Amino acid sequence: MSEYKPKIVALVCNWCTYTAADLAGTSRLSYPAEIRMIRLMCTGMIDQKYILKAFLDGADGVFIGGCHPGDCHYIDGNIKAEKRIGGTRNLLSQFGFEPDRLALQWIGASEGPEFQHNMTAFVERITALGPSQVADRMIL
Amino acid sequence: MMMYPLNSPDQGIVQTVRSMLQELLGKKLADAVLVLASNPWSDVPMPTLFTDPDRMEGVDPLAPVAPVSSARQASALTRSPSGKTVVLVLRPCEIRALIELVKLNQCSLENAIIISMDCLGRMENKIFSDEAKTGPGITERFLSSPELQGKITTTCSTCNDFLPENADITLCTLGAEPGHMGFEALTDKGKALLESLGFKKGDDLPKRKQDIAALADKRSLSKKELFDATALQMSTIDGFQTFIGRCLNCYNCRTACPVCYCKECVFLTDVFAHPPELLLERATRRGAVKMPTDTSMFHLTRLSHIGHACVGCGQCSSVCPSDIQVADMFRTVSEKTQAFFNYTPGRDVTEPIPQLVVRNGKRGD
Repeated sequence: MSEYKPKIVALVCNWCTYTAADLAGTSRLSYPAEIRMIRLMCTGMIDQKYILKAFLDGADGVFIGGCHPGDCHYIDGNIKAEKRIGGTRNLLSQFGFEPDRLALQWIGASEGPEFQHNMTAFVERITALGPSQVADRMIL
Repeated sequence: MMMYPLNSPDQGIVQTVRSMLQELLGKKLADAVLVLASNPWSDVPMPTLFTDPDRMEGVDPLAPVAPVSSARQASALTRSPSGKTVVLVLRPCEIRALIELVKLNQCSLENAIIISMDCLGRMENKIFSDEAKTGPGITERFLSSPELQGKITTTCSTCNDFLPENADITLCTLGAEPGHMGFEALTDKGKALLESLGFKKGDDLPKRKQDIAALADKRSLSKKELFDATALQMSTIDGFQTFIGRCLNCYNCRTACPVCYCKECVFLTDVFAHPPELLLERATRRGAVKMPTDTSMFHLTRLSHIGHACVGCGQCSSVCPSDIQVADMFRTVSEKTQAFFNYTPGRDVTEPIPQLVVRNGKRGD
């Protein structure tokens, strides 16, 4: 199964994690190509259904990257995201979804190397988990 | 807490409560009353808004049936100031839902007086209708017959939140001999109202505490059994799919849900009106897709949006045309969600909604 390449959706905040990705790019720090990154204005705008849709449409993992607490461009969007994602993880675990496939990390705008490190680690984690049961079995 | 005994051995409890509500309107202590009432055109009592005491002959707030959650109706009545005082006669779960709607800025309870009751549960419409046909006085028969009380919905028989919170007045049926029930004033508003109606303070009902504890124990036990069984059933991808497999995507559960309040639900928008090529692509991805699509998406989204606010009224199961026990799933999951957020819906109107409100208890808007 060395050929297995997970599909990963990353929902990242415009002001920090996306900027960190930019910094990683300009610093020539590479990260795995399995990540499909979607830029949002704030993690606070992530509705639970974005995460659900990603999983139900076949994502093996969902990564959410936002600003460190206290640094949110919109004051407290990241804290809202933290609550919602905590609730979603709690919910999904009750239906046989693996909660480890959903990650939330704070990555600041200046943290290019951290971005690279987090992406690499997340892809490794999902690769180790293997293909998602939801992607394979859920037809409803 | 103060008990105001209600001695009605001759009249019967239904007539006594009806007279009390008629007097409320007659004495102009309120402008309108929203209460469950039977009418000649329906075999189940419906929530009805009264302003004329002479029209109230069908009023029956203790009837063991609730074709809709009156919380929605109560909210429609109080969503903007009308300058009128309305009395809302609601079940405990309906009050909890109403409190959640207040928090969501859907209504205000400023000019409302809430009267509630010890809730012994409700039957499904069909069962109620059949039982009511077997003779007169279904409500009184229900209150005194353990056999009829055994015919309530699964949700009600596994509900241990049967005492109202946030009501002004409770009609106490637990611990009372037939014909000797009592009103309990829970707020100053309720106390003033009962005293204006000429009720006199009296002794507590002797067996009340004991009866409440006995019912709570019984209900908690059956609740645990149901939740454990449901959790186990849903705990795998296949189990979850089996649970909701017959879903038609009719969204009745969403319509009946008193706390699912969005006027523009995403599931009715073009977001889910997929073009043919997308449907075909979905099918291609897994080799098969059940149609109508997005069933698991629908239930999981509802669970994640309002799981914290589920008041356990069971209407979602009652309205399901496919007999899916939606409420069992919702209540089982919501109990965990509510524990996760350390949140109890309907408990306190000042308690912030966990996902909307952040640090320092301040609103994030």
